[in-house]
Amino acid sequence: MQKTKGYQQIISWLKTDKRKPFDFQKDTWQYYLEGYSGLVNAPTGFGKTFSVFLGVVIEALNQDRPAKGVQLVWITPLRSLAKDIARAMREVLLAIGLDWVVGVRNGDTSQAEKLQQKKTMPEILLITPESLHLLLAQKGSSSLFKNLKCIVADEWHELLGSKRGVLVELAVSRIKGIQKTQGNEMLRVWGISATIGNIQEALDVIVPEESAKKIIVRAQLEKKIQIKSILPDKIETLPWAGHLGLKLAHKLIPIIYKSKTTLIFINTRGQSEIWYQHLLDIEPDLAGRIAIHHGSIDFELRNWIEESLHSGLLKAVIATSSLDLGVDFKPVDTVVQIGSPKGVARFLQRAGRSGHSPFETSKIYFLPTHALELVEAAAIKEAARENNIESREPFVMIFDTLIQYLVTLAVGDGFDDKQTYKEIKQTNAFKELLPNEWAWVMQFITSGGESLTAYNEFKKVVKDEDGLWKVKSRQIAMRHRLHIGTIVSDAMLKVKFLSGGYIGMVEEYFVSKLKAGDSFVLAGRILEFVQIKEMTVMVRRSKQKKAISPSWLGGRLPLSSNLGAVLRKKYNEVLDQAHQDEELDIVQPLFKIQEERSHVPKSDELLIEMINNREGFHLFAYPFEGRLVHEILGALVAYRLSKLIPITFSIAMNDYGFELLSDIEIPMDDGIAYEVFSPKNLAEDITLSINSTEMARRKFRDIACIAGLVFQGYPGKYITNKHLQSSAGLFFNVFNDFDKHNLLLRQAYEEVFYQQLEEPRLAAALNRIQNSNIVITYPKRFTPLSFPIKVDSLRANMSSEELEQRIERMKKEVFK
Amino acid sequence: MKISVREEEIILDKERAIYLPKEQLLAISDLHLGKAAHFRKAGLAVPNIVSKNDLDRLSELLEKYLPKQLLINGDMFHSDYNTEIDEFAKWKENFNEINFILVKGNHDQQAEEVYKNLAVEVYEPNYQTDQFCFIHDVAHCRSNLYAISGHIHPGISIYNKAKQRLKFPCFYFGEDHAVLPAFSNFTGLQLVKAKETDMVFAITPTKIVKV
Repeated sequence: MQKTKGYQQIISWLKTDKRKPFDFQKDTWQYYLEGYSGLVNAPTGFGKTFSVFLGVVIEALNQDRPAKGVQLVWITPLRSLAKDIARAMREVLLAIGLDWVVGVRNGDTSQAEKLQQKKTMPEILLITPESLHLLLAQKGSSSLFKNLKCIVADEWHELLGSKRGVLVELAVSRIKGIQKTQGNEMLRVWGISATIGNIQEALDVIVPEESAKKIIVRAQLEKKIQIKSILPDKIETLPWAGHLGLKLAHKLIPIIYKSKTTLIFINTRGQSEIWYQHLLDIEPDLAGRIAIHHGSIDFELRNWIEESLHSGLLKAVIATSSLDLGVDFKPVDTVVQIGSPKGVARFLQRAGRSGHSPFETSKIYFLPTHALELVEAAAIKEAARENNIESREPFVMIFDTLIQYLVTLAVGDGFDDKQTYKEIKQTNAFKELLPNEWAWVMQFITSGGESLTAYNEFKKVVKDEDGLWKVKSRQIAMRHRLHIGTIVSDAMLKVKFLSGGYIGMVEEYFVSKLKAGDSFVLAGRILEFVQIKEMTVMVRRSKQKKAISPSWLGGRLPLSSNLGAVLRKKYNEVLDQAHQDEELDIVQPLFKIQEERSHVPKSDELLIEMINNREGFHLFAYPFEGRLVHEILGALVAYRLSKLIPITFSIAMNDYGFELLSDIEIPMDDGIAYEVFSPKNLAEDITLSINSTEMARRKFRDIACIAGLVFQGYPGKYITNKHLQSSAGLFFNVFNDFDKHNLLLRQAYEEVFYQQLEEPRLAAALNRIQNSNIVITYPKRFTPLSFPIKVDSLRANMSSEELEQRIERMKKEVFK
Repeated sequence: MKISVREEEIILDKERAIYLPKEQLLAISDLHLGKAAHFRKAGLAVPNIVSKNDLDRLSELLEKYLPKQLLINGDMFHSDYNTEIDEFAKWKENFNEINFILVKGNHDQQAEEVYKNLAVEVYEPNYQTDQFCFIHDVAHCRSNLYAISGHIHPGISIYNKAKQRLKFPCFYFGEDHAVLPAFSNFTGLQLVKAKETDMVFAITPTKIVKV
């Protein structure tokens, strides 16, 4: 390689900038030129982009005349990333004099630009997984990838553990299939990933063929990270529960002033709006120098914020996960995380947003929003020190995404079922797909479902004269294109000033509760609601000082099991005072209250608190296994208790434990406790307990949207949907009653089982509990541990009573 | 369950229908026939059995009460003409002795011939008995009689102190009007807010409960 024209050109270009390549970059180029696919694993800030990208460039330079047409498809999970990477790539191409066009294609790309791309495709295409599928849904798309050399999945760790990762797998399988029919099997596929627990698996998902030449290139570089907690002066200043921690906000101000630019990460969009307002309230001088950035803010505004971050115009930006990934803002030298990041990987990723250049130290502050989060801070520091990083489990056998994909192909150039079956059997996601399952999926999109159940007049995918399966109805095609993707959100409406100018988006559900004259906050501005016109929320500036902020119904991340284990350990350390963590010193008074009112669980103990008050009879248990496991565990324990006596529970949980609440006394003693937390008959009992809850139904909401059963509209676009309104719940009922063999229904239960339940984790937890000491206490009042669960409102029901009996009793209470 | 409104007896049936013994009239609302087929035509897989199940339930009701008249209080057919209307025609032959009355709703957009061929008497905007005015959407009612409407697919949520919640379709009887539940199972629910003086009857899988 060293002797090639292209390599020398790159090296001399780097030299003029007084730079030279890292070893992992050189290794990647070498492997790429030798025809390998693979995975690049390097910390942020060391030029991951330049690994595979320059490999492709070197190969082009080595040819007499660089090839034209799409050469490199670069998949990025976030829209904001694409722009940045495009800029960096264009600079390189210009400096080297390679006449290639870099094009960006995603939800923000203008129609005009898309048309231009249709005429002449750029050589390098930066695209989101969804837009790539949209491209496959276009007529003539199969000829676009004739000359394609390489597909890169950037931030692959981020895509891997989601249905979007499956979108990537499917698109790659298709492009490989197309090239194969053209006699070309040279396509190389590369993932670029931060460190995760299952890096080998990450490679095997992006390059699934066992026979392929594939390699993991690891950068032997370490990013230095400095972690500091922002501590309250007294523990009373922090709420026991709740999600704000605004009382510590004043401690942020000196940090902001001391730094060049600060990125402040908050977990939800709603809270980010509140924090933005609050920071301005306590420090009016920051007006015009701080901004807010999240996924519901209009494209233009986001653009401006990102530009201003580059130029150093802003002192601070409040962001959600919309700025999580590899965007490189040079002036950012400090990062603040508000509230628990829920996982070690996410925390380190965010830390990496500061001190982005190689060998610089990343600095991150952690600001707790309630007292117990201080323990989490100590746990995260320890986990980060020990490089205890989570795995990302790839999704498999998700029929909703498969159905969507097949219709996507049918809307585009059509597909041959035999060939496509072979292609998808190659993917990691569907390698276990059985012929009868494939037959069901084909039936679902062509005739509606199993032949046993009649589906008259069903029209969707039909066989064309050329033998390919296609969508013939323009309406169905249009509807399908509008909802390609696997991120399901409520219908969103654009928000616009009466005088013109878009501000962002809010959920339809939120707007439906507003009256004309009501005020709300978006993008840091206080807006007065005027009316809804043509699916747009019309507003004017409000004169009010305070207003409600919309709640976006985003998913809340569960605590990772890695973090949970360290957390349990830290709980033990608080009272014994043998620790090194300043965070633990601060929370000690709280643990004293816990000890007084109840008990602080040791790592070989499970604490159960029985509390009886006006609301009813509560059972709290604290396994520290994360929200999702607690949801299942709660249902399981509720089910087993309900076998003892007829009783109905509502279940609430957080990352530390769960609560069962009933209107009659809950039977509990040592014997019962070990029995209800037993790993015996686990699978069977879980099936019975989750059948009776709403979990599968909740999962089905996303599945129905992805599989195209429920049309959820599209931000800002109004399309007539005549007489087709329905809900996922309705479909769930119909399939449950009349079509038990429906694979989408099965998927809903499996998602509950495997993703939510994480059966191995649950079984391990129950085994741990069996071998531990179960401590039952009867506190008179809520305890520091129980209170946060109390204020959590996510609830499910579980009952063994006859419905009528239940209603009668509820009636007596409500109407007495 | 029997109740009395304006001194006339009304029987509430858990199959989402009411029967007026005095008039020998069985009334349902929001049948939405053809909805499943309409969905199928648009590429959404809803099995036929959904509509068949609705018609089976209606058969049972007709055999139970043996009414002279069956009144459909609007939204009999969901959308454009499709095979489910043919299936309905065939089904209806079993009940030729019963007089079918349709009070037109917002979904009832079929050509006049369709109703004529099916021998369904069409009333617009309402159908009146001595005591009651049947109308699809109560917002359009101009009568002084007690209005019986449909349209909104009413449902009710019941809570208890342990924050448990249950949701059911319901009958609503207010001061000057009533709302019938949607007959079709393939419909959603819109929660109603009831005043102290209103009567609301939740429909559970096995019986009707006054709340």
